Amino acid sequence: MTIRVDPERNEIRALKEVGIWRGKKVLEIGCGDGRLTLRLAGLSPKLIHAIDPSPDLIHAARRNTPSTFAKQIHYKMGSAGDLKYPSDSFDMVVFSWVL
Amino acid sequence: MVRALREAHRVLKPDGLLLDLRPGAVHRRVGVEVDSQYKQLAIMNESLKDDFAANRAVAEIIQEGLFKTISRIQVNCNRSMALTDFSSWLADFRTDRDARQERLIRIVERAFEDINGKRKKIVVKGPLILKVLKKITI
Repeated sequence: MTIRVDPERNEIRALKEVGIWRGKKVLEIGCGDGRLTLRLAGLSPKLIHAIDPSPDLIHAARRNTPSTFAKQIHYKMGSAGDLKYPSDSFDMVVFSWVL
Repeated sequence: MVRALREAHRVLKPDGLLLDLRPGAVHRRVGVEVDSQYKQLAIMNESLKDDFAANRAVAEIIQEGLFKTISRIQVNCNRSMALTDFSSWLADFRTDRDARQERLIRIVERAFEDINGKRKKIVVKGPLILKVLKKITI
């Protein structure tokens, strides 16, 4: 199934309006196949931890991510209700179409 | 949902931002686009129960004093697809309204066949809402 979501890129423009992303540590919850993760990476945060409960989608996200982002994006299986990260560790948490 | 939002509060640094990005709680519009011309065919009748529940969860954590609202941005979001992908995409919304969804598929299929043009595609439109909340440190 090929669906182009937001080809006009309004979504990432809205996210850019939020403020400065450069150098920030970001957690993306519900990254799916990494569609939005890659767009977020373009805003130059220092690091993105991207989680999703589906192993298949995490696999797809890793496959879809160019090697140039390998150090910037860390994909991991995970649940929003039980985040395996220490307290006070992120500048931004993005709920990506999941709530 | 409230548990996930409380977890987000825990892992955020003081003054960190929570970005709640998701489709708005309104019915999506389905149409056909041919050569950049959009023709609306129908309005989806998908259940918005989950959207309202999410709105209530966000309101609850604000009321608890965990976050304060900084801004709300609304933009249009299109999803474009081939006709063959439309019914699979629609399957995500199937709940107790299957008959209506089947009718919607028939309407779209018929209209799609009737419209001339080589580069035609299904386009589903709906608003996307981005809520920005700032962590309040207790």
